[in-house]
Amino acid sequence: MKSTIKLIVLTFAFFAISCSSDDDGASNKDAVSTVKIKWDNIVGQKDMNIVEKQNLEYGYKTADNQDFNITSFGYYITNIILEGPNGERFEDEISISAADAKGVYHIKEGDFASAATILQNVPIGKYNKITFTVGIPEEGVKEGAAGGVLDPAAGAWFWNWNAGYIGFAIEGHASTSSQAHNEIDGFVIPEKSFAIHIGGWRDITPLEGETPKFVNNVKTITLNFDSDVTVAESQEPSIHLLANAKALFDTSSVDFSTTYSVHAPILGKQFADVLDQVFSYSHVHQ
Amino acid sequence: MNIHSNYAYLVSIYWVCLLFISCSNDGGNDEVLDTDTYELIQPEGFPEIKYTTQNNPITQKGFELGRKLFFDPRLSADGSISCNNCHQQSRGFADSPVHPMSIGINSQAGNRNAPPLFNMAFRKEFFWDGGVTHLDFVPINALESDIEMGETIKNVVEKLNRNDEYRQLFKEAFDVDSITSPRILQAFSQYMLLMISNDSKFDQYQRQENNVTFTESEQKGMLFFDEKCSSCHSGSLFTDQSFRNNGISDTFSDNGRALITESNSDIGKFRVPTLRNIEVTGPYMHNANFDTLEEVLQHYANGVKDSETLDAILKTENNQLGIALTESEQADIIAFLKTLTDETFLTDPKFNNPI
Repeated sequence: MKSTIKLIVLTFAFFAISCSSDDDGASNKDAVSTVKIKWDNIVGQKDMNIVEKQNLEYGYKTADNQDFNITSFGYYITNIILEGPNGERFEDEISISAADAKGVYHIKEGDFASAATILQNVPIGKYNKITFTVGIPEEGVKEGAAGGVLDPAAGAWFWNWNAGYIGFAIEGHASTSSQAHNEIDGFVIPEKSFAIHIGGWRDITPLEGETPKFVNNVKTITLNFDSDVTVAESQEPSIHLLANAKALFDTSSVDFSTTYSVHAPILGKQFADVLDQVFSYSHVHQ
Repeated sequence: MNIHSNYAYLVSIYWVCLLFISCSNDGGNDEVLDTDTYELIQPEGFPEIKYTTQNNPITQKGFELGRKLFFDPRLSADGSISCNNCHQQSRGFADSPVHPMSIGINSQAGNRNAPPLFNMAFRKEFFWDGGVTHLDFVPINALESDIEMGETIKNVVEKLNRNDEYRQLFKEAFDVDSITSPRILQAFSQYMLLMISNDSKFDQYQRQENNVTFTESEQKGMLFFDEKCSSCHSGSLFTDQSFRNNGISDTFSDNGRALITESNSDIGKFRVPTLRNIEVTGPYMHNANFDTLEEVLQHYANGVKDSETLDAILKTENNQLGIALTESEQADIIAFLKTLTDETFLTDPKFNNPI
């Protein structure tokens, strides 16, 4: 009998817990505002300009004087978190399903709409750092077929055979690239081109005696702001972050004569490991 | 089970039921009817369901749509190849022996033997090299392979959206006004998830159904199998889902698992296949190396070739290769393997061509 009463009490407690989550947001609705994250893609000190495939005019130079241009540049951003000095915290909601990929952003140079990420319902207060993930981590891949920016029929960057998403990609031409002209069923890989696709999300420690297995190239980056950013009802700040393609090449010491076709996790590691040098905080418009 | 754990068990069931009751108010009534017969039921003794059914609950409409897509050659670039071309029900959804490496569009030969399709809900990785970790992503590979169906998933979406019948069917199955790739992939998964094979003579014997008995040879074969084969072909799926080099060659033009892990220690390793319905899924191995089960058993008895990544189980301390098997033991094991043929599944009209 005692245990039956216990069970009934527990039941009510369970209902109270399981059905209360909807109410939390509503009660402090007036204490939130909007923050815009602006993704500015650059090459060194210059703005990034995309050129057409097979265009061999080089607008940029690596630190060791390899000329290059860019035909495609972009990355997936997810798990955005804002934090403040007084315990303020905003975590962007993630929901990956067949209908949509909420909280996942595909930033592509040349696609104006993707250059800004709007974060809604950010609690008002002061913020001094942002954390985000570049690439789609295991939790995202394991949801199965996804819609929105993860829909491969709608432009998602997806690897079929080693199934998962390309987290960061840059393509273009380089004066030193050894890529020869290659045509496969009408698909052209132009001479002197390069394509660097960073993918790979599995993280499995090899057994003793085995050579390393899998490379997890999904990276989480934290950037500090140079001063506190105020989020208030009347203040919707716009935080500008930079993604610097030249930093990717210079920090990884790329040599296009040997590295011009990167389509596997191990090859991508050289670049994934320097992504924290590629992204930086620029400024904020209060 | 003692009284205490019995009680804990009941309480946990109670919580699970409660969870369903308290959170189920968004489903429609007709869906409840659908799932009565199109439910993915956990077969007794099988590993737990790996598929994310919470993201893609199976309904009759979704299953039937997946079935229609599976048999529709319009999904290929030239309208000539459906999934069914290389995955035939009577073969456990493997290919016919006359196409050991399968034939795609423009009569192109494939690279590997088409694997059978069943008990997919319990698998953690797919394909011979385990490159795909979610069932939803499996069909993209066949659709977009230049030598299989030669399409792009984008174009498949466009083709289907131009078809009024398909638009209606997707609307009924997923309540969507336009067809998207995740819905196509989910429909495929619904069809494949219900492909469960667990009604072979062996299963009936285990469950003591229909007065099924084993012959002396089958009985002996089962004992030899347990002793000599079941360390890899283990459990109710008859595979431990690992990747191993079983010595069919000492050179590898296809690196297998190493293509995915990028580890030299995985060169020449391939998924340990299930042995259910093995009688009808020949030829055998990723490269269709053996036509018959007799050849397979002979290989393990005296054909194993040594190489750096050869599985340790196939190499004894004094460098003896393979598994010690007499000819009569091989014959008995084959007799046992044939009890794994599941006629119920191979002929189930639920999976037939709907057209």
